[in-house]
Amino acid sequence: MITLGHYIVLSAILFGIGVFGILTRRNAIGILMSLELIFNAVNINMVAFSKFLTPEGVYGELFAIFIIAVAAAESVLGLAIILAIYRNKQTVNADEMNIMKY
Amino acid sequence: MSLAIFYLMAFLIVAAAVLMVTSRNIFHSALYLAAALFGVAGIFVLLNSYFLAGIQVLIYIGAVVVLTIFVINLTRKITGSEIPQFNKQIIPSFIVSLLGIILIVLVVLKTDWFHRIQGGSSAAVDNTAIIGRQFLTDFVIPFEIVSVLLLAALIGAIVLVARDRGDEK
Repeated sequence: MITLGHYIVLSAILFGIGVFGILTRRNAIGILMSLELIFNAVNINMVAFSKFLTPEGVYGELFAIFIIAVAAAESVLGLAIILAIYRNKQTVNADEMNIMKY
Repeated sequence: MSLAIFYLMAFLIVAAAVLMVTSRNIFHSALYLAAALFGVAGIFVLLNSYFLAGIQVLIYIGAVVVLTIFVINLTRKITGSEIPQFNKQIIPSFIVSLLGIILIVLVVLKTDWFHRIQGGSSAAVDNTAIIGRQFLTDFVIPFEIVSVLLLAALIGAIVLVARDRGDEK
């Protein structure tokens, strides 16, 4: 019997790994990929709570679909920005992108 | 039985995610990300949301990871494995994320779930039709807004990446 706690603990671990990746990666593409892990942790929580709290409703899954759509848009735009920065600055490392610091 | 599948998928997700954030080669990271997302699709199947599992495989593994790999290959020259991939905050970040995980796990363990929820229905119901009906009745305005958002993101990405004719180097 899988309880709701199983899913929440799994999603918490995935969230923690994603936070670790965001905080430690130098490569901006790696940061975006870690962000995808966090979105997936949220999606697991959404669907699990939806199944356990309202078994007849599908609201959590609808929210998860919206999250996936927004995450896809965010990923496309983030990668486009990284590509534009690479073209201008010849780097994708987040700690070398300091042109807005002045 | 389903518990064994859950632990298998959870192990796949956690192992792939840990390998993803610790891999020195960013290209391997993208492949481990695909494995982790596939495990999340398996979790969605366990939660009886087959439509969401299909969406997950199609959009995340089929589109986002492939797009990421494209960008990695376009910026490949300076992202070789000999360049350090981690900044100096690795130990504080590890402590912070570990404390976050411990906090959420403690909250889960101390919550009395059985008095609050009745438990999920274990019957495998395919709710794809319900999702589609909800999208076209109650959630039609968010649905249309998301489509406009995706169009805006598409145009924005093209505008950001497209090179002007004038300033060829």
